[in-house]
Amino acid sequence: MKTKTLVLSTIAAFAFLGFASAAPTKNLNIYCWSEYIPQNIIDQFSKETGVKVSVENYASNEEMLSKIAAGGGDYDLIQPSEYVVEVLVKDKFLHPLDHAKLSNLKNIAPQFLNMPFDPDNKFSIPYMAGTVGIVVNTDLVKGEVRSFADVFKPENKGKIVVLDDAREIVAWALLSEGFGVNQVTDKNLKQIRPTLQQWIPLIKVYDSDSPKTALLNGDASIGVVWGGEGAILLNKNKKFRWVIPSEGTHLFIDSLAIPKTAKNVDNAEAFINFILRPEISKQISEEFPYLNPNLAARKLMTQKQLDNAASFPSEDEIKKMQIFKDIGTKGSDIEELITTLKAQ
Amino acid sequence: MIGFAAPKGEKLPKGAHRRAPGLVAWLILSPLLIWLLLFVVAPTAMLTLISFAERDPLGRIIWNFNLQNYVRAFDWVWIKILLESVYYALLTTVICMAIGYPTAYFIGRAPERWRGILLMLVMVPFWTSFLIRTYAWINILSKEGLLNSLLLTCGILEEPVAILYSPFAIVLGLVYNFLPFMILPIYTSVEKLDNAMIEAAYDLGAGPLRAFSKVIIPLTRPGIAAGAMLVFVPSIAMFAITTLMGGGTNPTIGEVIFKQFTSGRNQPFGAALGTLLLIVFIIALWLTHSQRERED
Repeated sequence: MKTKTLVLSTIAAFAFLGFASAAPTKNLNIYCWSEYIPQNIIDQFSKETGVKVSVENYASNEEMLSKIAAGGGDYDLIQPSEYVVEVLVKDKFLHPLDHAKLSNLKNIAPQFLNMPFDPDNKFSIPYMAGTVGIVVNTDLVKGEVRSFADVFKPENKGKIVVLDDAREIVAWALLSEGFGVNQVTDKNLKQIRPTLQQWIPLIKVYDSDSPKTALLNGDASIGVVWGGEGAILLNKNKKFRWVIPSEGTHLFIDSLAIPKTAKNVDNAEAFINFILRPEISKQISEEFPYLNPNLAARKLMTQKQLDNAASFPSEDEIKKMQIFKDIGTKGSDIEELITTLKAQ
Repeated sequence: MIGFAAPKGEKLPKGAHRRAPGLVAWLILSPLLIWLLLFVVAPTAMLTLISFAERDPLGRIIWNFNLQNYVRAFDWVWIKILLESVYYALLTTVICMAIGYPTAYFIGRAPERWRGILLMLVMVPFWTSFLIRTYAWINILSKEGLLNSLLLTCGILEEPVAILYSPFAIVLGLVYNFLPFMILPIYTSVEKLDNAMIEAAYDLGAGPLRAFSKVIIPLTRPGIAAGAMLVFVPSIAMFAITTLMGGGTNPTIGEVIFKQFTSGRNQPFGAALGTLLLIVFIIALWLTHSQRERED
């Protein structure tokens, strides 16, 4: 009896081993922003392909970068923003993409392809783009608002919400002084310091995760926020108006890329191609109304979605926007600059 | 039991016990020791080591040891932020004590069958994540929130007032979150309080105030000290509540360290600030400890 059980279980074990080695790896480990890839999109992908997807989230590009740069983590797919793609490409942390497997890449608008941070999209594919702009509660703020300078005026003291992001705040000050967003040099930082010194005491709330909350609750009546957040506000209430600052602003492109250490490259590429499908991309836009670079998906959207100025700036506006480049060790300095001014 | 057996053949002074623990005692202690080593000693040593290093543009550590991070950390900006964080933490501790002591005393002196229920009531809100409870406070305190609409409908206010995103909201959030850490240790002290002592104080002519200050307070002091530490230490470094409810206009030391570690990509500098914070904790612990020694 005992021998029989032993033999049977041995056979079973071998059968299992044989099965396991014969089957292709059916896993995909995604490391992405929190609140950016809807769960039902991941479920649909799993259901269609049988791939078991596990998701881990990060709240900032740097959190992800430090893990990838340290060689840690078994991730198959990451979601870096443009300036992080730049360093990941430069320092060879990414796996080249096989464009033959990305048939849906043709859906992406050419203006978001072949960017300087990744020529020919050898390593990255745009997921969503977006911008930073001004939201005005027209019930509470009466004057004309066209620029950053109009937001940071003494009469708006205690009414302003901004992104809790030193790089962004410094970029706005650079733009209003006529510099480019990437001209983060010691000399320029010194020059914009008086501007920042005037701006920062006027600010009531710093919030990068959900700046719309303070505007919806009435604690702030004007703000500089992400386009996606602005779009939600515009949909909620007609009193909110969206303004692209006349000084210009920042255009971000969040991408999908495969780290060099990835173990399931095929599944990751399948997932990227899945995301690029018009009907899938459209669903993402419904939940997160950013600037969708997928032209075929835009054809499936309602006119109301396309008319939302915070989601879809005009071509002229986009032309004036600037993309962040990596600033390396300067990041610590601008954190210090903003902290110093806040603590005054 | 062998490990605990008294040693034989060693000459000990009369009445003295051998202080060095035996093998079994070490074995029993070992899980705790391993835990402390892995999760307290090792990370702290790592943090201190990193604080003397440098980093590359990607934020990776370069092991070139020097003092530059400390030179930068001893700037008035960081000291000021540290002092401000200590101030908020002290304020939180004092308020928690003012509210927590009477509460704990009441629970500890309540009939025994009530104590469990009362303690449970203190604990129940803490079964949900503190982030959810903090967001609940945002909904209550915001300009179009519950409190403002209530005061407006009652006619107490003419216009909504800004309660959220202020120093008041920061302290409220901290007190709310850390109050149980004050109540529980004081409760354990109060529960153990010997009634005979209080009666003796009255018999010897002490009034209620005197009995309280000369007998009850000293007897519950261990609970007070433990509660104060349990509230003070975590509230210095807490930054989620302060940024969410304070609006992030008053930087706290925890937030500043977090930002240097993440968007600043400067772990060594963040580690140096963290080490300074650690020194503040050590001083605080040492002060309470030496205070107790003196009293004993």
